[in-house]
Amino acid sequence: MKAFTQHALAVLLIVVLVGVTARVSAQTVQITPLPKDGRILVTLRMTDVFSDEVRAAMHSGLRITFVYDIELKRSTALWVDRTLATATVTATIEYDNLTQRYLATRREDGRMDKVETLEREEAARAWLTEFDKLPLFNSGTLEGNSEYYLRVRAHTIPRNASFVWPWEGGIAGLAKFTFLR
Amino acid sequence: MSTIREATRPTLPARTAIPGAERRPFRDNPRLILLGILLLIAALIAMVRFADSSTELNPDFLTEVVLYALSAADLTMLVALVFVLARNIVKLVVERRRGLPFSRFRAKLVLAFLGLTIVPSVLVLIVGSELIRSSTEKWFSQPVPDVLGAATRIAQDYYRERASTVASHAVRIARELPVAAVEAGDLDVVRRTIEAEVAQGRVALVEVYRSRGKPGTRADVIPLVAAESPDLPRGLRASAESDAPARGIRASADRFASMVASGSSEGFAPEPLEGGGELVRGGAAIRDHTGKVVGVVLASDFLSGESATHARQIIEAYQNRSQLTAMRRPIRGVYLTLFVMMTLMILVSATWTGLYLAKRITRPVQLLAAGAREIGAGHLDHRIEPETRDEFGSLVEAFNAMAGELAASQQKLERSRLDLERKNQQLDERRQYIETVLERIATGVVSLGSGGHIETINGAALRLLEVDRSVVGARAEDVCRRDDLRPLEALFAQARTARPTPAVQEVALLREGRELHLAAAATTLLRDDGSAGGSVLVFDDVTPLIRTQRVAAWRDVARRLAHEIKNPLTPIQLCAERMRRQFSSAPAPARALVDECTSTIVGEVESLKALVDEFAQFARMPAPRAAPVNLNAALAETLALYNDLFREIRIDRQFASDLPPVRVDLEQMRRVVINLVDNAVEALGGSDAGRRPNGDAPVILVETRHDPGNGVARILVSDNGPGIPPADRDKLFMPYYSTKRRGSGLGLAIVRRIIAEHGGSIEVADNVPSGTVFTIELPT
Repeated sequence: MKAFTQHALAVLLIVVLVGVTARVSAQTVQITPLPKDGRILVTLRMTDVFSDEVRAAMHSGLRITFVYDIELKRSTALWVDRTLATATVTATIEYDNLTQRYLATRREDGRMDKVETLEREEAARAWLTEFDKLPLFNSGTLEGNSEYYLRVRAHTIPRNASFVWPWEGGIAGLAKFTFLR
Repeated sequence: MSTIREATRPTLPARTAIPGAERRPFRDNPRLILLGILLLIAALIAMVRFADSSTELNPDFLTEVVLYALSAADLTMLVALVFVLARNIVKLVVERRRGLPFSRFRAKLVLAFLGLTIVPSVLVLIVGSELIRSSTEKWFSQPVPDVLGAATRIAQDYYRERASTVASHAVRIARELPVAAVEAGDLDVVRRTIEAEVAQGRVALVEVYRSRGKPGTRADVIPLVAAESPDLPRGLRASAESDAPARGIRASADRFASMVASGSSEGFAPEPLEGGGELVRGGAAIRDHTGKVVGVVLASDFLSGESATHARQIIEAYQNRSQLTAMRRPIRGVYLTLFVMMTLMILVSATWTGLYLAKRITRPVQLLAAGAREIGAGHLDHRIEPETRDEFGSLVEAFNAMAGELAASQQKLERSRLDLERKNQQLDERRQYIETVLERIATGVVSLGSGGHIETINGAALRLLEVDRSVVGARAEDVCRRDDLRPLEALFAQARTARPTPAVQEVALLREGRELHLAAAATTLLRDDGSAGGSVLVFDDVTPLIRTQRVAAWRDVARRLAHEIKNPLTPIQLCAERMRRQFSSAPAPARALVDECTSTIVGEVESLKALVDEFAQFARMPAPRAAPVNLNAALAETLALYNDLFREIRIDRQFASDLPPVRVDLEQMRRVVINLVDNAVEALGGSDAGRRPNGDAPVILVETRHDPGNGVARILVSDNGPGIPPADRDKLFMPYYSTKRRGSGLGLAIVRRIIAEHGGSIEVADNVPSGTVFTIELPT
C-alpha cells in the first residue's frame, strides 16, 4: 500500500512536471509548482543574481533581503487574469564581519519561519535564492484539470537603484501548470 | 465705463470694488511671493541638511523611500517645468499667429529670461553632477578601503584566534570530564574539573550541560554546572536569576549548547554584552565511548569592553565603508536627485520669475496698446483696470486720465459740432432764404469776388442784364464788353474800389432800341481786417418809375397848359365874335375878310379848347373802379361797335375759354380797347382802307389769353399794318407824341396810365409777318 502511494505520487509529480511550462532558460527565476496533500508546494531557484555588487553588499554587513512576491493565477480569456492567492517570501542575510558568519532569517507573509547562523557563503547564497517546496497555497479551491500559473516577482532590499529611474522592475518569472486531481 | 484685463480679452464691465471680496492673484500678491521665496529657501536648506545626513540613513529607507520620493519629486517638478514651458511657448506661438500686439516682444523677453536661467542651470547641473560623481568615486577609492580591510582582518584574526582557543579548551574539557559523572549528574566531580580550568585562567566561564536528546535531532540540554572567573563583570554570574541581561545570556548559551549537542554547530559563538565586552563561546560535545552525546561543555572567554569595542569599531568602520561602497549608486542617486531637485526648483522658480517678469512688463503695455486701439476706435469710455500700484499702475492711471480728458474733450467737441451744425443749418436756411428772396425780388444783385470775378448773380440781374448763369466765374470786365452792357463797365470798375456806403447811380441800357433805366449801387465788402473782400452790385429797374415821373410831369404840364391856355381862349373867341358882329355892317370885302378871320380864330379857339379839354381829361383821369368783369364778354360788346363800319378791314376775335373774371374798370377798359383798335385802323389806312400792298386783307385781331403760371390775363391787339419803327416805340406811350397828323399824342399815354393803374402793363412789339401787336397783361 505504501509503495503504491509512493508510485502514485511519483506519477502525479511527473504529470505535473510535464504540465509545467516554466520559462527556465530565459529567466533567472525558476519556479516549480507541485500540488501535494492539498497544498501547492513551490520550489524557487534564482540564478545568476549574485553579481559582485550583491556579494560586496552582502559582505559589507548590509542586511540583504530577497523578496519574492508569488501569485497564483488563472488565465482568463477576455479579461485580466484572475489572482487566486498571493504570498510573499523573504530571505534575509546579515553578515557579521567580525565572526564571519551569516545570520539568516526567512519569513513567509511576514511570519518568521527560520533563523539560522551560516558560516559558508554558498549556504548564504542558497538561503537567499533557493526555496524548496514551500507550502504557500491551498489547492482545495483549485479546479481539477485546469491550467494555472505562478508568477513570481523578485527584488532585493536595499535596491541598487539608479537615480534616473529607481523604479526598476526586478526579476520576474512565470510557471504554468495543470492541476490534476 | 468698460475695462479690460488683457490684450485678446473683450471689454469687461468695471469691477465693483467690494472691500475684502477681491482676491488678488498670486503673481500680484507680494506676501504670497515672499512666502513662496521663503518656502523655497527653506526647502533648499532642508535638502542640503538632508544630503549631509543621507549617508546615515538606513539603506532600506534610503532606497525604498527616500530615493523614490526624491525621484518622484524630481519628475513632478520636471513635468511642472515642461508644462509651464510648453504652456507659455504654445501661448506665445498662438499670440504671434494671432498677431497680438507685443507678442514678438514678449516672446523675445521670455526667451531671453529662459536662456538666462536654463542655460546656466543646465551647465551647473552638468558640472555639479560630474562633481558629485567624481567626488563619490573618490570617497570609495583606495587606500582607505585597503586600510580598513587590513584592520578588519586583524580584528577577525584576533577574534578567531580567541574563539579557536576557547573552542579548543572546550574540546579538551569535554574530553577530560568524566562521562559517568556527567551522565549521573555528579556535580562535585564535574565542578572540580571545571573550576580547576577556571582557576588556571584558561577560560573565564565553563558551563556543562547534560543532554537528553535523541541522536540526529536537536537535543534537549539541561544546565548542569558552571564555573566562572571572578574577573567576569557582575550580572554574568549564573545566580542572577532576576537579572534580565543574565537571563538573556543564559538563554543564548542554552541555545548554543543545544545546537552543539545536536551537532548543528560547533566552534564558537559571540555574545555581545550590554555592559561592554563580549563573551566568546566555544562548545564541544561530551560523548561516551559509543560516541553518544551525553553533555555539552561551553567554554567562554571574556573580551574586555575595550578590546571588544575596538574590534567592533574596526568592523563597524569597515562595514560602514563597505556598505557605503555597496550603496554608492543609491547614495549618489540621492545626491544627484537632491541636486537635480535643487536645480529644478531654481529652474522652475527662475522660469516662473522670467515669465512673470515678462508678463508683468508686457501685460500693461499690451493693455495700454489695446486701450489705445479702443480709444482710437472712438470708444472713449474705455478704461484699463490697474492691476498693480507700481510705475505701470501709474502709467495705466495716466492713460485712464488721458482717456477721461479725451472723453470730456470729445463731448465738448461734440457739443460744439452740434452747435456748429445748428448754426450751419441756420446759416443754410438763412442763405436759402436770402437766395430765395434774391431770386424773387425784382432787384438785380451781383456779387463780385476780390479778383473781380462774378460769384453770384440773381434772376433779376440775369433778366435785367440779359445774361445767363454762365457768367458766374467770369470777370465782370469781360461781361461788360458786350455793347449793351458797356455803360456798366465803369460801375463794375468802380465797385472794386467803391466805398462801403454805396452811392446810387443811374445807368441807361439800350434794349431793342428802348432805354432801360437802372438804379445801380456798388458796395464793397470789407473783411475783419478792413481789406476789401469783394463787392456787391445792386440794380433796380427804375424805367417804370421814370416813366411815371415823366407822365406826372406831363400831367402837371397839361394841367398848367390847360389852365393857362383855356383862360385866354374865351376872351379871344368872344372878341372874334364881337368883331364879326361889329363888321357885319361893314363893306362886303371887309366883312368877308373879317368873317373869314374871325371864323378862323373861332375855329382855332375851338380846336384849342378841345385840345385843352383832352389835356384836362388826361390830367384829371379818375381812379379806376375795378370790379370782376368777364373780359371776353366786355371785349365782344366793345368790338360790336365796329360791326359794318369798314369796307375791307376785318376785326377777328380769339378769346380764351378759360379766362377767369378780371377786376377792371369796365369803362376804362373799353376806352383802352377802342383806343388800340382805332390806332390799328389808322395804321391800316383808316376806315376806307383797302387791301394791303401784298394783297392781304387788312385784319385786326383781338385775342385774350390766360397764363395761370404767372397769374395774368393777356389782351393782344394786333394788325397787319406797316408796323412801328423801333426808335419810336419807346416814345409811343409818351404824352403828346403822335405819328398822326392831327393826333393829340395822349391816346396811348392814357392807355398806359389806365393799365398801370389796374396793376398791369402794356408792351408793343412787331407783329409777324407784319404790323404791330400790343400786349396788355392784367393780374387775375
